[in-house]
Amino acid sequence: MLALKLAFKNLLGAGLRTWLNVSVLSFAFVLIIFFNGMIDGWNRQGRKDTIAWETGKGQFWHPEYDRFDPYTIQASNGLMSDEILKETESKRLVPILVVQATAFPQGRSLAVILKGIDPMQTVLELPVSALLSDNGIDYAVIGKRMAESAKLKVGDKLLIRWRDKNGTFDAREIQIAEVFKCDVPGADNGQIYLSLRTLQEMMELKNHATYLVAGEEFEDRELENWVFRDLDFLLEDFNKIISAKKAGGSIMQIFMLLIALIAIFDTQVLSIFRRQKEIGTYIALGMTRAQVVGIFTVEGGAHSILATLLGAVYGIPLFLFLNKVGISFGVGQGMDITLAETIYPYYSIRLIISTILLVVVSATIVSYLPSRKISKMKPTDALKGKLQ
Amino acid sequence: MIKFIFKGVIRDKSRSLIPVIIVSAGVFLTVFLSSYFAGVFGDMIDLSARFTTGHVKVVTKAYAENEDQMPLDLALLEVGSLKTQLNAAYPDMEWVERIHFGGLLDVPDENGETRAQGPAIGTAIDLLSPGSTEIARMSIQESIAKGSIPSKPGEALISEGFAQKFAVSVGDEITIFGSTMNGSMMFKTFIISGTLNFGNAFLDRGAVFIDLRDAQLALDMEDASSEILGYFNDGVYNDAKALQVMESFNSGHNVPEDEFSPQMMRLVDQNELGQYLSLAEHMSSIFILVFVMAMSIVLWNTGLLGGLRRYSEYGIRLALGEEKKHIFFTTLLEAAIIGIIGSVFGTLLGLAGAYYLQTYGLNLTGMMDNVGMMMPAILRSKITPELFYIGFFPGVIATEFGNALAGYAIYKRKTSRLFKELEV
Amino acid sequence: MKILFAVFAAFAGFTAFTSPDAKEILDKVDRNMSSNNRVFESSMIIHGRRTTRTISSISYSVGTKKSFTEYLSPAREQGTKMLKLDDKLWIYSPSTDRIIQISGHMLRQSVMGSDLSYEDMLDDRKLTEVYTSSLVGKEKLGDRDAYVLDLVAKVDDAAYFAQKIWVDAERFIPLKQELFAKSGQLLKRTEFSEVRQVQGRWFPMTIVYKDMLKEGSGTEFRITSIKFDQEIPEYLFSKASLKK
Repeated sequence: MLALKLAFKNLLGAGLRTWLNVSVLSFAFVLIIFFNGMIDGWNRQGRKDTIAWETGKGQFWHPEYDRFDPYTIQASNGLMSDEILKETESKRLVPILVVQATAFPQGRSLAVILKGIDPMQTVLELPVSALLSDNGIDYAVIGKRMAESAKLKVGDKLLIRWRDKNGTFDAREIQIAEVFKCDVPGADNGQIYLSLRTLQEMMELKNHATYLVAGEEFEDRELENWVFRDLDFLLEDFNKIISAKKAGGSIMQIFMLLIALIAIFDTQVLSIFRRQKEIGTYIALGMTRAQVVGIFTVEGGAHSILATLLGAVYGIPLFLFLNKVGISFGVGQGMDITLAETIYPYYSIRLIISTILLVVVSATIVSYLPSRKISKMKPTDALKGKLQ
Repeated sequence: MIKFIFKGVIRDKSRSLIPVIIVSAGVFLTVFLSSYFAGVFGDMIDLSARFTTGHVKVVTKAYAENEDQMPLDLALLEVGSLKTQLNAAYPDMEWVERIHFGGLLDVPDENGETRAQGPAIGTAIDLLSPGSTEIARMSIQESIAKGSIPSKPGEALISEGFAQKFAVSVGDEITIFGSTMNGSMMFKTFIISGTLNFGNAFLDRGAVFIDLRDAQLALDMEDASSEILGYFNDGVYNDAKALQVMESFNSGHNVPEDEFSPQMMRLVDQNELGQYLSLAEHMSSIFILVFVMAMSIVLWNTGLLGGLRRYSEYGIRLALGEEKKHIFFTTLLEAAIIGIIGSVFGTLLGLAGAYYLQTYGLNLTGMMDNVGMMMPAILRSKITPELFYIGFFPGVIATEFGNALAGYAIYKRKTSRLFKELEV
Repeated sequence: MKILFAVFAAFAGFTAFTSPDAKEILDKVDRNMSSNNRVFESSMIIHGRRTTRTISSISYSVGTKKSFTEYLSPAREQGTKMLKLDDKLWIYSPSTDRIIQISGHMLRQSVMGSDLSYEDMLDDRKLTEVYTSSLVGKEKLGDRDAYVLDLVAKVDDAAYFAQKIWVDAERFIPLKQELFAKSGQLLKRTEFSEVRQVQGRWFPMTIVYKDMLKEGSGTEFRITSIKFDQEIPEYLFSKASLKK
């Protein structure tokens, strides 16, 4: 295609200024991909971590259970049917029993949630195998946030008091076997993990559970007397934050792109101004004005192709590098949202293609706008290079 | 000389107006977006500062250790004099009291007996004094689902979730039952003035907001509060300043042996926000740098364009015997004037925009799918000291550079050629 | 009030004993402590982390199922009334003119910052309905000889699985009571002192109640006057009387 070939020749011929414009556009291009990649990476990791540590691919709740309402906990557990027990034995479902209790670290009292979980489970990443005990000690596993707020460490003993299913007070000493670190506050804050069997025995609730976590291998179906909660439900707050971030980011991207487009627009105006003789020559040679407009539009738009290429030259290594080392946020702690300590940006094909399209289309449009002026030029004046 | 050029610039609109507008626009965008970037990257810090940590926070040591449980009995006492001291010692900060309390929200039936009840997560802030900054700080207005902010004592805001679950609405009565600071029973009936959407599943269950005065009376907390939060007047967390304030405060007030003596903590000391903060600053400075570069290129182009347009003028001036050096110098001087005027305008505009966004925020709720969130939906910019000069770099230097490049052609081209380009 | 509820709950009407010795001892305690009804004024001294408060009240009770308490001082609590009927608890506050039922997790909250929870007030069954008892020995407690009795729950839903009680060997009033979890962990301890004779019965006028898992020096309960077998109008034990 002549226009394109011409466009590249002209652009490359313009030298420094073309490359400056191209760099600006490529910055915008790379930053848009980077920012979205970061949010997507966060989103994917957050989802993945929440699934791995807390929610599984979905949960079956006892109909009375409401994770945010302490009122419901006492009454919200049910007997697991044989069907469910079979699923739990084959590690496709992990039953969790939730109990309210009071812990007494160093004479202070602290409301805690006890969670009974099978130490042999493989669905969640919680390091609960540490709960296995052959010496009569009741081991417990807690998260780092809980460890910090209760000032506990591995090996510490902790007195807990609870009421069994009949309301009888009971208390015993548990020992912290492991403190795990995870990015999911919901799996950590205020919670103490005990062996399911121990907790069932403590509560006199044999084979009872509050909710069942479904693993990947669980075959989707309904379970009688249990309410399925899908990931949309379980990740509601997290999804809200991600969509808020995306909305905030999109404004920034628009402005970023706008700057790059102003640069192209500006260049187009300049080059049309300076190259009137050339324009006149084209027309004199028999090109229609539309064709000339086309040449200049393509030339301007070609910035975006160069920008994409340039962006790829430094962007790809940069992205690969960031993807390997990640971006360390070092928090997650203390904030009630799932935020990995290190985020590995995720660049989807869709993101890259849509960003390229966005850049190319918008660059072409802003190149077209000043080129329209050409169609109003008088070829004779243009040929003379006369100011218009 | 400057006066002469200045007049020339002012009188020749094509030399002044368009370039000044472009420079202003560019500088405006730079300043405004820099503040916006800082806001975007800092919004989690900001959220935390607004809702929980303040820029600095004063509590008793005993309270800090048990903060999760909202222990009123460990609250700060004599907050009036404490606040007076804080205001006097650190006049560039605003100090606000807040009370956090737990309890029960109880909905009465027509006989005044319990119809329904649920756990309450209470927050008391200054809702009623004229000019209270707390309403804006906690985005209360933006979060209102129904009704309005309390306008007189005895009114409360409750979560929309609770209102729906227990079928209560604006204008109904609701009783908060809990314990006072001394452990006495606390009963207080409020009229619901409005409901709030928090966008946080936990708060949407049973949050209740009341006025600080009401809470102090109801909870026996005359001259007491859970915490005093300090905010820098410019709304921006400044770690160096916070450290200084904290150290001077703690050396004067904190008695290590007394678990009820006040102690101050910085934002970064709480919830491990420190590392996030430094990362956020890092990220926003990268974005700002790229942006400033991009803007510089645009303005440079503008300068170049402006210079090129005037080749014929240079031709005449050369023909009239003006020295190349002198023409180049005046071109640069003009560029400087245009750059400075444009940059000043742009910076002022940018700061105004940033200030607006910092104060009122940008409500993004419309951009999200049916999400009514308390904070992250409201994007705010952040005015940082750099904003005052960051626009000048692309504004003045890039304009200057572009004109210099264009003017450089004066040396490259022959006088005769420039003259020819005149072609009157 | 509530401490007394617990005390009366513990000692009013021990009838079925496994050990004849234990039965004989608890019978005598029962005769000392129980009555058709009682009216008493008391003050409760609560030691907080920062302050110590004294709250006085007057209580009317019939058996262990019904009681009505009105707070007299300090001014903050004055006029607050509490009604217990079986396993339900209501509180009336004059300032809001509201009757609030205490339920759910609120029941586990401390009453006015004391070492007692609302729930402790609702546990109104007689010890003999809940526990089997046995005499395990004799000990000297201060300058008093005391029988030591072990009580173990015989029903599923006892709040405390086991108790240990020291009974004055001469006056047949309790001197000390310890409440244990199923695991054997000591949870709460109650100590009785200032034993006086009232209407021909021995009665402990000061009781110190301590939650053993928490720091602090416990809650002290002092009876300033107590009368047995009084005329208490039946309407007192109704929600309507709360608002009067």
